[in-house]
Amino acid sequence: MRIDYRIARPIELSASFEVEGFTVLLGASGEGKSLLLRAIAGLLPAQGEPYGGLPPQRRAVGYLPQGPALFPHLRAWQNVAFALSGPHRRDEAMAWLQRVGLVDLAERWPAQLSGGQQQRVALARALARRPQLLLLDEPTSALDPATRDDVLAELVAEVHAVGIPALAVSHDPALAAMADRLVLMHGRRIVQTGRPLDVHAHPASGAVARLLGLRNVFCGRLTGTAGSQHLIWPEAGVSLLVKTTLADGTAVDWHVAPEAIRLQHGGTVPADTIVAGVELPQRSAYGQYAGLRCGQARLWADLPSCHAAETVRLSLPWSSIRCWPA
Amino acid sequence: MSRSRFAAGLAALALLLLATPFAGLVLATDWRHFGFAHGDGGAVAVSLGLSLVALLLIVALGTPLAWWLARHRVRGQWLIDALLLLALLTPPLAMGLLLAAMYGPYGPAGSLLERAGLVLTNSAPAFVMAQLYAALPYYVLAARAAFEGVPRELEQIALTLGHSPARCFFRVSLPLAKLGLAAAVALAWVRALGEFGVVLIVAYYPQGIPVKLWTNLQDIGLSAVYPLLWVFFLVALPLPLALGLAVRRRLA
Repeated sequence: MRIDYRIARPIELSASFEVEGFTVLLGASGEGKSLLLRAIAGLLPAQGEPYGGLPPQRRAVGYLPQGPALFPHLRAWQNVAFALSGPHRRDEAMAWLQRVGLVDLAERWPAQLSGGQQQRVALARALARRPQLLLLDEPTSALDPATRDDVLAELVAEVHAVGIPALAVSHDPALAAMADRLVLMHGRRIVQTGRPLDVHAHPASGAVARLLGLRNVFCGRLTGTAGSQHLIWPEAGVSLLVKTTLADGTAVDWHVAPEAIRLQHGGTVPADTIVAGVELPQRSAYGQYAGLRCGQARLWADLPSCHAAETVRLSLPWSSIRCWPA
Repeated sequence: MSRSRFAAGLAALALLLLATPFAGLVLATDWRHFGFAHGDGGAVAVSLGLSLVALLLIVALGTPLAWWLARHRVRGQWLIDALLLLALLTPPLAMGLLLAAMYGPYGPAGSLLERAGLVLTNSAPAFVMAQLYAALPYYVLAARAAFEGVPRELEQIALTLGHSPARCFFRVSLPLAKLGLAAAVALAWVRALGEFGVVLIVAYYPQGIPVKLWTNLQDIGLSAVYPLLWVFFLVALPLPLALGLAVRRRLA
């Protein structure tokens, strides 16, 4: 489904992109992502397709705002039945609750449900309306970290099962990782679209890399031309050997993967070695990273054995440094 | 500890101040010669019956206005706010005179309406009108606050679920504002029933309880005031008390 919308107020924004399967629109806070969803749902004056000019009640969308927003005066099944009509409302509502695995909690009030359960009721309610498009505003914001990935996986599976295209807006790279399609927004413009695999492999800019949650995205400037090109990294006060096709003097955003950073041992010190202090060793289920201080900059490196306050010598291989014109 | 005791002491003092006049009523009532003046029963019927009519009109007219005020910001909003405040501010006697000037037999609106058969001086409609003017601004302000407490987002969700704005109002806005609206109805009821000044000017007849208290005092004396006052409390209190208790129970 093609989305093409223009908003004039309260901010100016236009966006045109394709929604297929579970699509995530990734952008920083304040980009107007939520406004775009509200515009598509008809809750904000805007021009665009689909549904242009229709009042909200005649748009076939299932809108899930930030936070579950259930009706507090209605029980779980009544919330779902709100979107239904006819004598079999209750049975249909129960069937939808069955689908999201909450039929046992049908008689509960919203306040008696957890954040994840409320979200599933809200999803059942939105689906019961039989929409052509699901709109989800920051679906991860109300979830607690321990169950977040499970709740999201279920949400995405449910979206696939009902076969309705869904557009989720978020600033959360974890959600983006589950998308069928990514749309990246920066400076109130769509800057890149594609499958997550392709976008991760080739971020179009430093801003995209930051949105994807990559660590070690910095600003810098190139000097010299191909063959003897260096990247000046002002924050750290060093320059690094790089090979790009960009012109001398280009201001760039650049990235180096934490896994690519090498520790220097022994006596012979290569020319572009960086001296850094270990600020904080970070150990989590996803690996071990060291937060390093290089001048004003914080550099993350995959260094399994290091200790706080230790001084280390590093090299950043030129083949792992990626530069984008800023 | 001492601070909470101080607060409790102040609260007790305030309650004592509120209770003092009614303790006076208990003491001053001549229980051995407790009896009613001629026409007291009629005054109770007039007060209850016509106040109920006024209350229905106030709810019917005030609720849409309160909802509109809660949901819309227009240019010149301050004029609307000023109008509501003005209606609250005007001394009842002055409001009665203003109403008489407009709706009286020689007033521009009054003479027109009289031609249509609606007499707004010393009539049942005049009594209802006086109570309406006395209580409507209180109801509108309280009901507006009640509607402002309903999350806008829930009303919008209801729209996206395919319901018309009218259905959304009755199925979401109204139930969620229910508690505040109950408080607003209770406030309007006590304001309407207790109104004396406006009624005195435009609807001396038919006599409701407040005016009858005045005429009893003039014609007979204090002994004829207190029994009617007891009855007044007895008939006027249950509705707002029950509404208030229902609200508190839901909030607890």
